[in-house]
This record gives sequence, C-alpha cells and structure tokens, in this order.
Amino acid sequence: MERLIETLKEPVQLSPDFDARVLAAVERVAEDAHRTRSVTSIAGWLRGRTIRLSPLGASGLAAAIVAAVLIGSSIVDREAAPAPPRPAAAGDQVQMTQFVLVAPEARSVAVVGDFNDWNLSATPLVREAGDGMWWITLPLSPGRYRYAFVVDGTTWQSDPDAPAAEDEFGRPSSVVSIGGA
Amino acid sequence: MTHRHGPFTLAFCLAMLAAPAAVAAQEARLVGRLPDAQRTQVDAILVAARSAGLPTEPLVDRALEGAAKGAPPDLIVSAVLRLRGELDLARGAFGDTASAAELTAGASALRAGATPVDLARLRQLRPGQPLTVPAGVLADLASAGVPMAAGLDAVLAIAEDAADADYVAFRRNVERDIALGASPVAAVGVRLRAVSDALASTGGDRSVPRKRKP
Repeated sequence: MERLIETLKEPVQLSPDFDARVLAAVERVAEDAHRTRSVTSIAGWLRGRTIRLSPLGASGLAAAIVAAVLIGSSIVDREAAPAPPRPAAAGDQVQMTQFVLVAPEARSVAVVGDFNDWNLSATPLVREAGDGMWWITLPLSPGRYRYAFVVDGTTWQSDPDAPAAEDEFGRPSSVVSIGGA
Repeated sequence: MTHRHGPFTLAFCLAMLAAPAAVAAQEARLVGRLPDAQRTQVDAILVAARSAGLPTEPLVDRALEGAAKGAPPDLIVSAVLRLRGELDLARGAFGDTASAAELTAGASALRAGATPVDLARLRQLRPGQPLTVPAGVLADLASAGVPMAAGLDAVLAIAEDAADADYVAFRRNVERDIALGASPVAAVGVRLRAVSDALASTGGDRSVPRKRKP
C-alpha cells in the first residue's frame, strides 16, 4: 500500500494540452450519461451517499487510476513525438530498398511515404560527395508503399525511376512493391 | 475494516478511467495533422474498418499522405473512405486470409480499373502465393498507359509460375519500352513472350501463357 502511495506521488509528465483532453473526455462522458439519465438525477443519486471500500478494493481502484494516468500520458507523448521510419516487424522478410534522386541543385532532399508516416523530417537523403546524387537505403517489409521526394523542403517530386502512384491530392507520388506477402 | 469515500472520489475515479479510453479511440498520428472535425471522421472510418476486420494502417497512411501534401481536409476524408471500400472489395476477391499488403495492392489494381472478378481469378491462379507484387504490377502497368485488358492478360498468363522478381522485371521492361516509344500493347506483348519463354526454359512446361477467360 505504501509503495502504491509513493507511486501515486510521483509526478507524471504530461503534454500541455492533457488537462484540456481529460476535461473534454469528462464532458463527453457527462453528455453521454445525460442522454439516458439527467445530470440532476445522477447528482441526486450521489448526494448524501457514501461508498464503502475495503482496503483491497481501494488498492485496486488506486491501481486502476495509476494505470489510467500512465496509459493516457503515454498516448499523449506518442502524439507529440516525431515519427521515425517505421520499423519492420519481427519475422518480416525485410528487403533493403534504395531510393535515389539526381538533383544537383538541391540543398536538401527527403523521402516521405507510407513507411515513415509521411514525415517530412524523418528520412533525409544523403548527398554523394561531389555529385548531384542523393540516396538512402531503407529496410522495408513486404508491401506496397506510396512515396515521394521533397526537395528543399517544399518541392514535391515523384521518383523518375518508379511507377507513378495515382494522385488524389494534387502532388506527385511514386509506388514501390516489396514482394514476399 | 472499511474506509468511507465521498461521491466525488468515485466520480473522479470514473473520469480518470474514461479519459484514456476516449484518447485511445483516436489515431494518435493524426492528431495535429488534421483538423478536429475531419480527424473525428477519419477515426470513425478506422473504427468501422477495424470492426469489419480490415487493416487500418493503409487508411492511416492515406490520411497522413493527404495531410503532408496539404490537401483539403474533406478531400482527405473522401480518399480514406474510398480506400476503405476498395480494401473491402479486395478482401472479397482475395479472401479473408489476405494480408494488409495484398489488400493494399488489390485496392490499387481496383483503382486502376481491374474488377473484383479479375482479382479473384489472380487469387485462383496463385493459390498460397503472395499477391502483393502481381496485383501491384497490374496497377503499375495501367499507370504506365497499358490498357487494363492487356495488362490483366499478361499478369494472369504468368500467374502460376512467375516469381515476384519476374513480375518486377516484366514491369520494368514494359515501362522502359514505352519510355523509348513503343506502344503499350506492343511492349506488353513482346515482354510477355520473353518472360514466358524464360519461365518455360527454367521450369519445363510449367508456364504456358493462358488466355483470360471471358
């Protein structure tokens, strides 16, 4: 029990908007309850009542609260973190796949696609010294991936050496198929 | 021994338990990349897809692509919804055991003009073999300008014997021929003969190009 209390005392790192999210969730719970039973009737039910818990029950409740806070904070943390290239799952037949773009005038080139959550900063290409070739090799699991190059952070470009992907969003993309599944 | 707790303690506990569940229903990667209204719609599509047993990763990817490209949020929602329908059709053709990768490739082929019957035929010709690359090549050929009927004939003709690498080489050769000025139909015809001959030479009479059944 004391260990549990110490755990509860430990500060939890939350993002700045966590309070707002919790309050919004509480409001949603309240709204849902209102559909079936008025808030005043719930308050009336609660008023003047006491809830009796055994030490075991109280410990379970406290543990549930700790778990709820930790799970909630971990989800919020994931939201804030930049997405790295998606790792291959264990057992996948990973294929090393090279992406190359010849762009002598470019100051930077990145590849974005289904394999890195379309994160513009996750996968910069390396410039071959003294040349205009930019490249990177990524381990990809079997699948069909849409991707594009982004030159100098603003210019979207398809891969001239790969099939074009059907474009739904007004900017070009390419596609690569990795066999095995 | 019991301890007394007020009703607000209970209310607080319930609220704390409810909060993570509400957050978990959201796709975390879409937070901050789509406006709340459209993100809620995409989340609803994901929940429906998940409950229908469809993979949600391709749907999230499509939403992220639209967001990264600065597409109008409503267009992103439409694209995700459309893809969800295509994944459903692809699963109907490939079967319930199809992988997410196969369904994604099947959806691409459907988008390119194939029909669920075409995909089912591909499944039938390659029992137990992965379909990601053949279905993907079918879509790729269409995007290169090959009429769907010609591309489908070719993909099905070698379906029983070709490995993924054969399909990839076939597609690259056809695209190269087209880039050099060949007509798409002629390029497919010539390259299909070449890959069929190669398969026949390595596998005896295993690969006899078959005509598509009407």
